[in-house]
Amino acid sequence: MAMKIEKNFQVQEPVEKVWAFLCDPRKVATCVPGAQITEQVDEKTYKGTVSVKVGPSVTDYRGEVEIVRLDALNHEIELLGKGQDVRGRGSASLKMSGRLRTMPDGGTEVTSVSELSVVGILAQMGARVITEVSNIMFDQFSKNFQARLRQPSEQSEPPAPTQVEPIKASSLAWEAAKGLLRKKS
Amino acid sequence: MIHKTSPEVGGMGHPIKRKEDLRFIQGKGNYVDDVHLPGMVYGQLVRSPYAHARLKSINTEQAKKLPGVLAVITGEDLAKANLAWMPTLSYDKQMVLATGKVLFQSQEVAFVVAEDRYTAADAAELVAVEYEELPVLVDPKKALDPDSPVLREDREQKNNHIFHWEVGDRNATEQVFQNAAVKASVQAFFQRCHPAPLETCGCVVDFNRATGKLTVYMTSQAPHAHRTVFALVGGIPEQNIRVISPDIGGGFGNKVPVYPGYVCAIVASLTLGVPVKWIETRSENLQSTGFARDYHMTAEIAADRDGKMQALRVKTLADHGAFNAAAQPTKFPAGLFSICTGSYDYPTAFCEVDGVYTNKAPGGIAYRCSFRVTEAAYLIERVVDVLALELKMDPAELRRKNFIPASKFPYKSSLGWTYDSGNYEAAMKLALDKIGYAQLRKEQQERRKKGELMGIGISSFTEIVGAGPAHTFDILGIKMFDSCEIRVHPTGKAIARMGTKSQGQGHETTYAQIVAQELGIPAADVSVEEGDTDTAPYGLGTYASRSTPTSGAATAVAARKIRDKAKKIAAYLLECSENDLEWEPGKFFVKGAPSKAKTIQEIAFAAYTNIPPGLEAGLEAVDYYDPPNLTFPFGTYVCVVDIDKGTGEVKVRRFVAVDDCGNIINPMIVEGQIHGGLTEGLGIAFMQQIDYDESGNVQGGSFQDYLLPTAVETPHWETDKTCTPSPHHPFGAKGVGESPNVGSPAAFVNAVVDALSHLGVKHIDMPIAPWKVWNILKEKGITS
Repeated sequence: MAMKIEKNFQVQEPVEKVWAFLCDPRKVATCVPGAQITEQVDEKTYKGTVSVKVGPSVTDYRGEVEIVRLDALNHEIELLGKGQDVRGRGSASLKMSGRLRTMPDGGTEVTSVSELSVVGILAQMGARVITEVSNIMFDQFSKNFQARLRQPSEQSEPPAPTQVEPIKASSLAWEAAKGLLRKKS
Repeated sequence: MIHKTSPEVGGMGHPIKRKEDLRFIQGKGNYVDDVHLPGMVYGQLVRSPYAHARLKSINTEQAKKLPGVLAVITGEDLAKANLAWMPTLSYDKQMVLATGKVLFQSQEVAFVVAEDRYTAADAAELVAVEYEELPVLVDPKKALDPDSPVLREDREQKNNHIFHWEVGDRNATEQVFQNAAVKASVQAFFQRCHPAPLETCGCVVDFNRATGKLTVYMTSQAPHAHRTVFALVGGIPEQNIRVISPDIGGGFGNKVPVYPGYVCAIVASLTLGVPVKWIETRSENLQSTGFARDYHMTAEIAADRDGKMQALRVKTLADHGAFNAAAQPTKFPAGLFSICTGSYDYPTAFCEVDGVYTNKAPGGIAYRCSFRVTEAAYLIERVVDVLALELKMDPAELRRKNFIPASKFPYKSSLGWTYDSGNYEAAMKLALDKIGYAQLRKEQQERRKKGELMGIGISSFTEIVGAGPAHTFDILGIKMFDSCEIRVHPTGKAIARMGTKSQGQGHETTYAQIVAQELGIPAADVSVEEGDTDTAPYGLGTYASRSTPTSGAATAVAARKIRDKAKKIAAYLLECSENDLEWEPGKFFVKGAPSKAKTIQEIAFAAYTNIPPGLEAGLEAVDYYDPPNLTFPFGTYVCVVDIDKGTGEVKVRRFVAVDDCGNIINPMIVEGQIHGGLTEGLGIAFMQQIDYDESGNVQGGSFQDYLLPTAVETPHWETDKTCTPSPHHPFGAKGVGESPNVGSPAAFVNAVVDALSHLGVKHIDMPIAPWKVWNILKEKGITS
């Protein structure tokens, strides 16, 4: 299944600082729940993993992220991520374009458009909640993103790869259910 | 006229309790998964997450290293034994395990064998398969585009078209349409649904290296046919194959095809020399085994202004998925779909069907239906209602006007079938009277004035079942006769064995009742055995409502052969001529001297102890029955619905089902069959669809999304019957198991459309979920 997700949030940091952070997939990955970068292949390509736990089964996507376009002048970036589940249960791909804009108050607005495509068991079982799950992941991402930006610059070096907690299924399902209910009321 | 036996004998017409239920209600049934053999190991399939992808590599090393894993079989391994592909029931072939590429999500890619089920499942996750994704085709219309990728590279024909089939007179039909005063048409999609039997498919394969005997316990509706397929495909001598179909927890057509899992388990047992069990999970069953329907249909009627139908034209696109694994007789690629003229007297008709390949699970099986008859009945009953709307005529009146009159039977339809018998008007009259049709129409008028939504739906269906005459019907060349062998023991008890196989139909009871009727041996004294190919006579199995028309007939004929011999023995015992004897169920007596009699039990004893000179010992017979024609059960169903304007929820207020299946063996079992089939029809009409998203992901691949009606959703069913015996069947029966599934979807949909027809609604595709109705109500400004 394929879906398009548009997100928009603001951070109280200058645009150049946000841009520097956004251009480093190693840093950005630390904000994605359940994700980590394991290897840099070349200047634009990185290898990494994302774990999503749904019920009793963990889907571990292993794949690559590539920076397809980088426009420092306009602060625009385009990423392409592709991963396959290590247990052969499916794959996911993500095409994401991000854009930064300086706000009148000196902060920065981050706008992203993501096209997510999921094939396999996650797309079968989770078809009805997957949009909500993605929304929650993006919300967590933006929170993490802001938190990481606020950290002093000397600590902003990416941490060494460690065991990353997968996204929790139970809480996600609950959040998704709440999201659906909110929509209806 | 059927001679009524006493309740103790329990012949035809007695509602005796089902013999098999004694063990089922005590949890003493014996299903395939109950089979445990010493040293048995377990198989697990690795399946493709992609709907269309090239197989780049399969690495089994990690899986093989897991302690307890005995073997991992891939398509390449099978290819070495020429077993990577197997024939389907439709003269196509299907991959057992994928080689080259995969063509649908959940396709079988590898088979892991391990000492226990859990290890097998864990090891399956360790099989590393590298895929390269290919463009996916889920829309059958797009599949026919010349630009679309060719899915089946193995075929010589380089497109996705499987077959074109047509019947009737195209030009004459066209002419009638050109001059027609009134035309009505409907585009109806009969969604992909699934029989979803409560017991999934599975097998236990036991190859004995010492004896060379291969015993296959499997969920099979057609054990003999499967034995022959295994012999032909696997090159195993047929006498060394024994297929045992134990208790089956529902089949509905799903257990007719041969599935890759069976073949893999056979290969594994042959290779390892130990018994191998393979049992599907629920999702595997829903996602990979025989689906039903997926027919994109258009029907048009040309009629006079007074409602007399003149011609029917039907065009259908049939989505068969990745392999043409539809179940149907050889000469009928669209099954018996040409029964689509239904209960109506069309002077002219034309019907055409095109089959296509898509990236979906293979199938097209006959889900509680005699090969595409459900599709046909739904379509004709839907388009007749659309014509009624067009003419502003009452749908019951329109039907009455166009029914094949009772006086015209046997009736030759314009699409070539000879209907054996029927009285459609009588069945409809009974149904309408029972439900109070005239009163309901008045009520509907009043409710409409108050803004309430209520609808009445009628379906006057005709079935075509009991395939079938050998001159026309075969599957993979094997003629569609069926069989019965009866042995009467010295004490007058009997055993009967058939080529069919019950999956819940109650054969152990009904076949015994036929023997009771014909020989007067109490049904309780007759044991019925099916499903063991080493003991039962050859037959094509149970589906298409064929058991009563074929094996039921064979049972009666075999019993009559026994009666003929019993007469000779009775004449010898009574020291009279055979011509002086008269029969009543249970005994021969001398004409005019009823006290001079010999019971069937006395005769049976004599057959082993006091054999007349010149006669063989024993009392047994076998019959392979080739029916002279199919049978044509029919009925009228009437459904009343109320629609909640706020939620779009449809509530079935009443449902009257009047069935005519000819003479009835056991009225209680018939009623049970009708209840079950109506409940399935309710699920299809309102709840069920195996859908696919644009990437070929199955939507509806688990009971989370594929809903089964429970007691909560199921309304009260009111049943009744008329009786128009089949003139050619030995005891006038027609078959009934499938009528309610065939006839009911149209009744439900017609009722919903009727409730909304004053708003301009002419058709709604199934499943009619509340959101669909709600959207219509919103669009029409009925709800906000």
